[in-house]
Amino acid sequence: MKKKQAKEPSVKRKFRDDLEEKLRLQTDELKIRDGQIKQGADREKQGADREKLGAYREKIAEEQIHIRTKAMEATFDGIFIIDAQKPDFPIIYANPSFYTLTGYSRSEVIGRNYFLLYGLDDHSRIYEEIKATLRQGKSFHGEMLNFKKNGEKFWSLLRITLVRDKNGIVTHYVGNKTDTTLMKQRDLEIAEQREELLHVTRVGKLAEFVSSLAHEISQPLTAILSYAQAAQRLLKDREPKLQEILQYIINDDQRAAEVIRRLRYLLKKTKPSFEALDINALINDTVKLIMPDITARDKAIKIELDKNLPSITGDRIQLQQVILNLMSNSLEAMEASRDSHELSIKTMLKDSDTILVEVKDSGCGIPKENMIKLFSHFFTSKPDGLGMGLSISRSIVEAHGGHLEAKNNLDSGATFYFTIPIHMRRDQ
Amino acid sequence: MPTNIYIVDDDESVCRALKTLLMTYDFEVKTFNSANSFFDTVSDDDPGCLLLDIHMPGLDGWEVQKRILATGSNRPVIFISAEKKDDATNRALKAGAVGFLQKPVNGQTLVDLINGINI
Repeated sequence: MKKKQAKEPSVKRKFRDDLEEKLRLQTDELKIRDGQIKQGADREKQGADREKLGAYREKIAEEQIHIRTKAMEATFDGIFIIDAQKPDFPIIYANPSFYTLTGYSRSEVIGRNYFLLYGLDDHSRIYEEIKATLRQGKSFHGEMLNFKKNGEKFWSLLRITLVRDKNGIVTHYVGNKTDTTLMKQRDLEIAEQREELLHVTRVGKLAEFVSSLAHEISQPLTAILSYAQAAQRLLKDREPKLQEILQYIINDDQRAAEVIRRLRYLLKKTKPSFEALDINALINDTVKLIMPDITARDKAIKIELDKNLPSITGDRIQLQQVILNLMSNSLEAMEASRDSHELSIKTMLKDSDTILVEVKDSGCGIPKENMIKLFSHFFTSKPDGLGMGLSISRSIVEAHGGHLEAKNNLDSGATFYFTIPIHMRRDQ
Repeated sequence: MPTNIYIVDDDESVCRALKTLLMTYDFEVKTFNSANSFFDTVSDDDPGCLLLDIHMPGLDGWEVQKRILATGSNRPVIFISAEKKDDATNRALKAGAVGFLQKPVNGQTLVDLINGINI
């Protein structure tokens, strides 16, 4: 009984326990299933979202690649990419501008070594320099003369930079080639024009120098001749030996004067050539020549040209020389002061038959005592000046029938201005 | 024929030499190294011929001539200049000058020119 009694509750308990266990398991399973169902739904949703995001990202990436590719294809610069991990460094990409620039076709470029592309000596100095720079892990930057496939020369600015992967290994080189031929040509043209003007200035300076020298020598020759002739008169009918000596002095004095006269005549032969000129265009051309100086000195130029000016008659080079001289004087006058920044050049109609050109600076101005000597030969306020610039300028302007003058501005600096008649009057 | 001669030239040696020469022709000669000192010393009414250099600092020969004409004075002026521009003689004569001589000046030529002036 006791056993039964003891058994009974144990069976009951077991049953109950079993039932509880079953229920618990079922609940758990339900919970798990529910969870699984929920999870599954989430996962599905997440998956769908991820797919959407992926597609979106892909689209963006594609668009970006498209834009970047198009940009690379559209740029005027020649761009090329070199595989840095292949032993012969082949070009793996080049944009259309690169083909245009070099004259080579795609099949001639892709797979080829950049340095061999031009068929030039592999050991030529510039390529050795490029290779050495890249080997050091540095970017290359340099301007060089190249040849197109058809042999045509062109100047280019080449920049080659390194492309590294995540680990810092150089995988590619990207090259950027800019055609600088036009710029180079313009630089050369400007240099040539400057050289031409300098030459004219030198010749002009020589002529002016000889002219000044002639003037200086004429003075003592005048005195010597007058003294000798005076002595001859005082000794009239006396001292025939002294009379003879005085006559020799007079003869040699006149010989020296004749030499000077001939020298003057020779220099006069280089006559200016007069033609119809647009003074504004002339000024614009001259400003181009002096622009490098203006930039280098960190100054600015204001150009105010009256558009409705009639043409003048003049010698292009000589007038350019005058304008250049006035502008470079102004620049030098502004050199000392940081506050003075602006140089201005202006043209206007002074009256019905005269054009006025003004070059104004905000520099140190002209001391009163220098005003009177300003246009004299050999007068200069500059430590290394010849004192010829303004005197030559004035004689050029006067040869054109105009006048060159200077005045101090009310505020600061000086203004040099000259007039040029619309119709050249040679007899003036 | 004037007996008084005024010389204006910035070169002292030229002044002295021309004076020495002209004195042998019995002229009364006064010299000046600048136009201003001439105007300061000699009044417009003082008779006499002016020998005038063109290239001088300050007032140059052309300006002196202009100023003389502007006062209404009929003082004869002879330009003497080292430079002989083709048109200088014409310009000088147009400006009312008696003559234009290039340096170095021949004494007799100068004196003939002076003697030819009717005053």
